[in-house]
Amino acid sequence: MAVVQLADALGPNGLPYALPIHPNLVHFTIGLFVIAITFDLAGALYPLEKRLFRFLQLPVTRAGLHDVGWFNLLACAVVSFFTVAAGFYEMLLAEPIADAVSSIGLGSAATMVWHGVGGVAILLIIVAMTIWRGFQRFSWRRDLGRQVQWTYLLTGLLMFVVVGVHGTLGAELAAEFGVHITADQLLASGANLREALP
Amino acid sequence: MLELLPALNDHNLPWMDTIHPIVVHFVIAMAVIAVLFDLIGTLTHRPSLFEVSFWNLLVATAAIFVAIIFGQVEAGLAEPYGASREILNLHSTIGWSLAGVLAVLTGWRYVIRSKDPARLPVAFLGAGGVLVALVVVQVTLGNQLIWTYGLHTVPVVQAIRAGVV
Repeated sequence: MAVVQLADALGPNGLPYALPIHPNLVHFTIGLFVIAITFDLAGALYPLEKRLFRFLQLPVTRAGLHDVGWFNLLACAVVSFFTVAAGFYEMLLAEPIADAVSSIGLGSAATMVWHGVGGVAILLIIVAMTIWRGFQRFSWRRDLGRQVQWTYLLTGLLMFVVVGVHGTLGAELAAEFGVHITADQLLASGANLREALP
Repeated sequence: MLELLPALNDHNLPWMDTIHPIVVHFVIAMAVIAVLFDLIGTLTHRPSLFEVSFWNLLVATAAIFVAIIFGQVEAGLAEPYGASREILNLHSTIGWSLAGVLAVLTGWRYVIRSKDPARLPVAFLGAGGVLVALVVVQVTLGNQLIWTYGLHTVPVVQAIRAGVV
């Protein structure tokens, strides 16, 4: 599957650089999304947890919690375009270990296709949710204490499950199919790691 | 006693896959975005972003201790070889240090926020710069452990068990 014309410029990990970019951007997409939804949930349930914050002597405003929900999601939407772009570039150069089957019974091609298609779908959903969140913040619920709809929070929680499965597929591309891992690719080519990777 | 421990799978782990790299999402993303929002908040005079930074910093500090717990367990099962031994030692040392740095910064930030949530001293921005630099170094080391040396990946665990690494 590798782009053959590039072969000379690629290292043993199949990339023109030592460490893949996509998995590092993923930290931001997942971290920002999960914390955004969590803080909007905290803002929505504020009447219940008010006493806890007072007990902890931690001054807090409901609007502050919803600010985290909005700005983190906005940042998530921006960075996720780069996450998906880097993912597709690195997928084009991926050379999964032949004949391996993942712990959930998928081969490398199926895992990669699901992870690629899923990545685009998740990006679209994140962007749609950011627009939805913006309408709630600046228009529909501008004057209300609870800045988000329950359906929005429910969608966010469902996305936790989707992102969890999606991330597992991505992790399997690395840890089971050895995609872009120098040591795994060297082993697959029959190299002795004691010499090739001292 | 040892037979009471759960069996290890083909990742040399008692659970499906490494958990440490998942928990660190919430350290890396929250620490870096906190510093970024502090910078944007300062440059555009938007104190509401300082509040967002404070909460993100608090999450990063809570998450790093969870990350360390899983990191220590998974490091103990990683069976590093060659130069990855040194990298893992350095990654552990910086990881614990980063927990201290994050906790101190969050405490300092709590005091700043209690006095005047709309103002952020330049010194804190500077400290944020140091924090991001530390995170970048730490992430690079962690990246090398997985993407160069493939610790906890199936092919490397297989090779280690076969005695060829």
